[in-house]
Amino acid sequence: MRRKFIPGRGPVRASFLTITTLLTLISLSTAVAVNAQQQMSKRYPGGKNVRIELRNISGLIVVESWNKNEIRLTATIESKNAHVVPRQVNDCLMVDVMGDNRGRGDVGDINFKLQVPVNSSVDVETRRGDIRVSNIRSGLVRAHVSSEGDIELSNISATHVVAQNVIGNIFFDGEFSSGGTYEFKSTKGDITIRVPGNSAFRLVAASPTRQIKLNDFWNDGFKSQDGRKVVGDVGDGRSSVSVTNFSGQITFLRK
Amino acid sequence: MNCEQCQELIQELIDGSISQRDEFTLNTHLKDCLDCESVRQDLTSILSFCETHRGEYEAPPNEQALWLRIRNVIEAENAPYLVPQTGSLQPSFFKRLMGQTWELSFPQLASLTAAIVLLVSLTTVVGLRRWGGTTEVSHAAPVVQVSNVNDRIFQRRQVINYWNQRVEVNKARWSPEMRETFDRNMRVIDEAVANSLNDLNRNPHDEVSEQMLNESLNDKLALLKEFSDL
Repeated sequence: MRRKFIPGRGPVRASFLTITTLLTLISLSTAVAVNAQQQMSKRYPGGKNVRIELRNISGLIVVESWNKNEIRLTATIESKNAHVVPRQVNDCLMVDVMGDNRGRGDVGDINFKLQVPVNSSVDVETRRGDIRVSNIRSGLVRAHVSSEGDIELSNISATHVVAQNVIGNIFFDGEFSSGGTYEFKSTKGDITIRVPGNSAFRLVAASPTRQIKLNDFWNDGFKSQDGRKVVGDVGDGRSSVSVTNFSGQITFLRK
Repeated sequence: MNCEQCQELIQELIDGSISQRDEFTLNTHLKDCLDCESVRQDLTSILSFCETHRGEYEAPPNEQALWLRIRNVIEAENAPYLVPQTGSLQPSFFKRLMGQTWELSFPQLASLTAAIVLLVSLTTVVGLRRWGGTTEVSHAAPVVQVSNVNDRIFQRRQVINYWNQRVEVNKARWSPEMRETFDRNMRVIDEAVANSLNDLNRNPHDEVSEQMLNESLNDKLALLKEFSDL
């Protein structure tokens, strides 16, 4: 009996086998990659004046408050070569990824999540990556991205706030405390500031591309230099706000 | 004996140191000269008063301080005459010039007047050319300002070059993603520097452009420093 010849049946079988093999390899490599990531989770006692200092190289940093008088640090470490050695001195928790990994070459991304008491001072920086800080009421919130990464500061009430990056957006949602200083700076990105309508501050905003929108906070007392720099008081100008943007929009919104 | 010699001998007479011969001569003169006799009587009266009331005067409070003040006053008055110890005792050029009597002939006086007029005219012309025109002043100021800005930029660029070299050395150790990130951000900052510089060249007085230029150069420096550690 002659066997029927079915055109293309051989190549179909070969393709099926190839795809199956590839899928198996991909899933295996993904599993290996997942296993290669390290997870770190530690808790530290929080005192009255908690201060967080974090120096990262690359990766996401999330800082948020919780209703416990302790600090919880969670880190996802991409590379096995990376060292993360948190140190607590009195009420200050320091994580210096830069210092701990000097000379080790590329250590990949390290993503941090810090849960801290609400009155903690927060000073975080990274060479690249996003920073998100939320629900903090303290003396200092500083978020510095050396190169590119978005900065999001939500529900912040601090007397000294600094947010700076080169490429990326900056968003601040909070309030300006009396006598406080607030500095926002981006080379290429939008800066959006959302504060209560009754905020009182002295503003110096500069944008060479003339994209400064004060909306409800504009008043006739403001002095504008060709639309590129705006200086003036809102209310009695109790706090000092400086916003600089080289290529992007500066927007003030009312809560 | 004349009156002058007589008054010298009166002093010796009062002191008791006069010779018998001089005393005779003096008495002879005093009999004839009422003025000299009057001087002798005054001096004798003063001396007898002092001898009678010796020890009766009241010492001033803090006598030593009084004498010191008197001495200081005397030294201060004598000071100009003590100063020339280091130099000549001749009066200064100015004193000699002012003390000199000038006697000029008419041609000399005319020449001197002409020279003074010429000097004043030249000084006025030079002064007007240098400081007189407001337009020239307004042009001079920007040149200085621009020069200062350029100097500052040059100095900042020197520092930037140093850090740039350090970054280039370390760059090989970075991951490709990190290198791309750095280069991309450096391009953005360089663009900001170039834009600010262009604006400043168009309008050297533009305060905003100068501020943005400074800030963008600072940002560039900060980026280089922070990445040089990697």
